[in-house]
Amino acid sequence: MPRSDFWSGLAVAGFGLLALLWMIPNYAGSNPFAQMPPELVPGIGAWLMLVCGGIVAVKGLVQILRERISFVTTEFNWAAVGWAAWPFVYVAVAIWFMSFIKITWFGAFLIAGMLLLLGERRWYMILGCSVVPVVLLYVLSVYMMRVGVV
Amino acid sequence: MKKTFAAILGATMMTAPMAMADDWPTRPLTMVIGFAPGGSTDIQGRVLANVMEEYLGQPVNVVNQPGGGSAVAFTRLKNTEADGNTFLFGGTTALTFTPIITPVEYEIDDFEYLAAVALGQNAIVTSAEQPFSTFDEIIAHGKENQMTYAQQTPLDEAIMRAIAEEEGLDLAIVPTGGGGGMAPLVLGREVDFAYSGGTHAQYTPTGEMVVAAFMSAERSPFYPDTPTLMELGYDYSIEDYRTIIVPQGVPENVKARLLEAAEYASESQAFKDITEGNTFFPVVFIGQEEMEANVRRIRAATEEVMAD
Amino acid sequence: MDFSAVGAAAAEALTLASFIGIGGGVLLGYVVGVIPGLSRSVAISIAIPMTFYMSPYIAISFLIGLSKGTAAGSAVSAILLNAPGEASSAATALDGYPMAKQGKPKTALQIGLIASVMGDILATIILIFVAIPFARVALMFGPYEMAAILAFALVFIAGLSGGNIFKGLAAGGLGILLGTVGLDNQTGLPRLTFGYTELMDGMPLIAVAIGTLALSEMFVQSEKLRYERGTMSVALKKDDSDRMTWPIFRRILPTILRGTGVGTFVGALPGLGPSVGSFMSYGMAQKAAKEPERFGKGEPKGIAAAESADNAVIPAALIPLFGLGIPGNVSAALLIGAFAIHGITVGPLLLRDNPELLYSIFAGMILASVIMLALGWFGLMFFAQITRVPPHVVIPVVIFFCLAGMMLQGYGTFGLIILMGFALLGYLMKKYDYSFVTFLVAFIITPMLELNLRQSIILSRGNWEILLGRPIAMFFIACTVLALVTLIIRTFRTDKAAAGAPNSE
Repeated sequence: MPRSDFWSGLAVAGFGLLALLWMIPNYAGSNPFAQMPPELVPGIGAWLMLVCGGIVAVKGLVQILRERISFVTTEFNWAAVGWAAWPFVYVAVAIWFMSFIKITWFGAFLIAGMLLLLGERRWYMILGCSVVPVVLLYVLSVYMMRVGVV
Repeated sequence: MKKTFAAILGATMMTAPMAMADDWPTRPLTMVIGFAPGGSTDIQGRVLANVMEEYLGQPVNVVNQPGGGSAVAFTRLKNTEADGNTFLFGGTTALTFTPIITPVEYEIDDFEYLAAVALGQNAIVTSAEQPFSTFDEIIAHGKENQMTYAQQTPLDEAIMRAIAEEEGLDLAIVPTGGGGGMAPLVLGREVDFAYSGGTHAQYTPTGEMVVAAFMSAERSPFYPDTPTLMELGYDYSIEDYRTIIVPQGVPENVKARLLEAAEYASESQAFKDITEGNTFFPVVFIGQEEMEANVRRIRAATEEVMAD
Repeated sequence: MDFSAVGAAAAEALTLASFIGIGGGVLLGYVVGVIPGLSRSVAISIAIPMTFYMSPYIAISFLIGLSKGTAAGSAVSAILLNAPGEASSAATALDGYPMAKQGKPKTALQIGLIASVMGDILATIILIFVAIPFARVALMFGPYEMAAILAFALVFIAGLSGGNIFKGLAAGGLGILLGTVGLDNQTGLPRLTFGYTELMDGMPLIAVAIGTLALSEMFVQSEKLRYERGTMSVALKKDDSDRMTWPIFRRILPTILRGTGVGTFVGALPGLGPSVGSFMSYGMAQKAAKEPERFGKGEPKGIAAAESADNAVIPAALIPLFGLGIPGNVSAALLIGAFAIHGITVGPLLLRDNPELLYSIFAGMILASVIMLALGWFGLMFFAQITRVPPHVVIPVVIFFCLAGMMLQGYGTFGLIILMGFALLGYLMKKYDYSFVTFLVAFIITPMLELNLRQSIILSRGNWEILLGRPIAMFFIACTVLALVTLIIRTFRTDKAAAGAPNSE
């Protein structure tokens, strides 16, 4: 997979570079009296990412050039990408919801909605799988952990 | 300041018509703990919640809001409705110390300090196998030899640096990240002496660890013979009170009820057993007036130490 | 050994509450293990919030019971579905599935169960007898030794995590970087928190764990649903000749013992994990067999070898955890978090300060094995049915528990956003084959390593000669250098060939 190696390596190295140039100098703080300054260990991590990500990317690049394949895939399967992406969107929306309503109140709909999207059509499965976990959570949070409804 | 005053006025006026509520509380209360479950504050808080529930006749739910040594919890508490239904239980370091070194979005005047029910036990400890056991002996030993000290907070490090400078010690200070990390260093004699926020209580009964001095303002009832740093002539102290704290502007009658519940808890055997027996914090009862003064006094003293 | 403490421990292990707690853990683990795609670390990371209201002993035993249950339960789906519930049971499927196809599914399941339970009990006993003397020695370890051992563990795990070595190191680099977020433990000043008070205590471990392990796995699984939807499970029939007999047991006993030995050895080394153990044991059994060609075609010894080693790894991985406080694998690392939640620091001092707790946990572990045997034996038919639960039903429920588990932690919306970020990260790492095990272990070890290194440098006052009086530290520094050199040599040698070693978790 030279293509994905190249791009992922590039992303990792890029993040390492970002950390080295911007994040660590600005946000790691400093302690001139410390024998081991606070920016040392994050710096090691960032260098590892930069160097190793860079090697992965370069190896991918060499292979791409040797095999004469293009940098981006020509046949882009949008349906597959969409199928991989929708659960992320679904959960992200659920998280946004959770800043207004407690998950106990809409958890059953959350599960049922995803079951429907994943192709479950038997009503008793949908009802059982969505209600039972929510009831369990309610018992756990209110009666056992005593933190109130979450 | 003006803004806070207006806020208080607004809050009082809004709640004033409902002040008939002598039967408060009428719905479940929330106790906020600024640490993750399992720490000493959490354990004490959960027992306290049970006892207060007994007294107030409404469930007291415990909610953990960890982060920044309670800074997150205080930020959120400041923005909750001042009806007394939500209150915080915890130490005061996030108010007396944290704002000095990190920018936070709250200040001492945003809250009211209803009652302290337990005292922190900050001490300087050393291993029983060291050639010294009192603080004076540590200093005397340090004038001849290089010494090592294990810190847990920047505040105790600052105090110890100041003392080392006054006494002319060659002192290396290592971080430990907490009481769990301090104990092996002291017991293994990797360091000569260390700061302890209460962990020592597990090791002094077996005679492995010795308390050289207390950093609190007064001696601990558990170690009546051990002096405080103040008594030894060093003008430094670290005080911590486990306090019930509400946002500024809670109605008087609600505060009075909470105070009664706190006083009831401080006399309860269950709370004493856990707090003194398991977490080794002496149980006390300090009312609002004294606590308000305490918090401001500690903050001023801390600012002075950290300014150096 | 302190016998009054042992007695008290046994008494606590036999209360009703602990029966329910441990039994519940094993049962839950068994169910999770049976469901393909739900792994052990997923189960543990979601279950940690459930343990808050339990006593520390029951909480830990519950979680260990859960791990043990997953290891035994995963054999069921490996045998009946040819789809292992855990990567570590893949070796079990090699002979288990053919045997089930030949009309002996029950025998195969029983062999798997007996091998699991025996490997488990024996390894637990070894743990008890090794961890205790080990903890005594470990008490003499200071910051120098700890720093050296942690550095060794980090390099060792990076080298073993399989796949492309550079990708593994890059993932480790990210783990190191993120592990340093939070208040600097010396100055108390924020580091890489970007002004967020919520990050002052560091990236919350539970968000990182649930995100990269559980939630991201659900995204991976739901993506797979597009291409495949469940496989046919071999059904159990009423057939009296289909059961394990005494001659079969006698034939596989030596294999079980060997598997336990291999599993214990692999488990005690940090970073290897159960899949390495089970495959290694399977290979050794095949080499030692008189008729190696029968392996892969329904040989009972194959099941026994894989399952006994798989289960022996779980207790053995606790040897470095209880002895030194160093997690051997991701599940053990999550256990550190669970201990911390209950106010207990894991490490050599645990044995000294809380011997009752440790003995209770050991007693609970033995109890868990016994419960596992009973549950597995009598619940055979029931667990066989679970293999028929399709993944598309499992995914939404697990996602719900991931979100709810995070809310129970009290980090609020901020915690959920972090969770989502790490789920995305975990998904990408799995997709592009960056070892998320290396990432997580680096994330967990970095703060400990940095603290111990700092202490060593300050205490030695920069004087390297102090190491000469520290033979254990010297030994592990040598090991670290050796591991680094091997790593580099291996990297250059396998530069051409695409490495395909199994993941360690």
